[in-house]
Amino acid sequence: MQTFTYVIKDELGIHARPAGLLVKEAKQFTSTITLECGGKKAPAKGLMGVMGMAVKQGNEVTVTVEGEDEEAAAAAMKAFFEANL
Amino acid sequence: MFDFFKKKEKEYDDVIYAPLKGEAIESASVNDPTFAEEMLGKGMAIKPAEGKVYAPFDGTVAMVFDTKHAVSLVSDKGTEVLIHVGLDTVMLKGEHYTAHVESGAIVKKGDLLLEFDMEAIAAAGYDTVTPVVVCNADDYKDVIRTTGKQVEPGDVVMELEK
Repeated sequence: MQTFTYVIKDELGIHARPAGLLVKEAKQFTSTITLECGGKKAPAKGLMGVMGMAVKQGNEVTVTVEGEDEEAAAAAMKAFFEANL
Repeated sequence: MFDFFKKKEKEYDDVIYAPLKGEAIESASVNDPTFAEEMLGKGMAIKPAEGKVYAPFDGTVAMVFDTKHAVSLVSDKGTEVLIHVGLDTVMLKGEHYTAHVESGAIVKKGDLLLEFDMEAIAAAGYDTVTPVVVCNADDYKDVIRTTGKQVEPGDVVMELEK
């Protein structure tokens, strides 16, 4: 299992477009990727769940990755957060 | 003629009704790659003729964005839909939008969900075109869309087949 946390810097948080990009990124991997923020949890591969978390600027998101390609997936997700959020 | 009757008889797994009055257009005509390339899922869009958004089916409001520019719903049959009023309108931070429902609300097809001031949003420099997207389109084999015509709330705009 791989895990990391990231504090959202984007002023608008995870709204529709970044949520879509995040899901697209997550779907490239077979690992189970879970987002957790402020007591809410959602699988990173479901757009509705990711949007439903309503992650805002300044929120800390914990990303947990578990599966065969977890190392690559965690690295890619981390890079995604840093580049987009 | 016979084909017409056949089509009428066909039972779809779910049906999405127009959430707004306006011109139904293809996603590809939307001036935002997020929707034009259907990154969030298959769908279509409506160029609003009126600043009112209605429930596209019987279901539950999954989320009303804090900024009230978008609402997501899940139909009683499990279809997840995002209605995104205008492009880049997250930037308006709720201005010119009024929400009439909250996350978790049970709605019936045709219930008023949001109101928005079309003129003010356009005057602020935003395109009011409203993509209607099936977020779990991967669960369906086919999404049949009706575009290229004027629609009224309640007209069929998408039919889904598993």
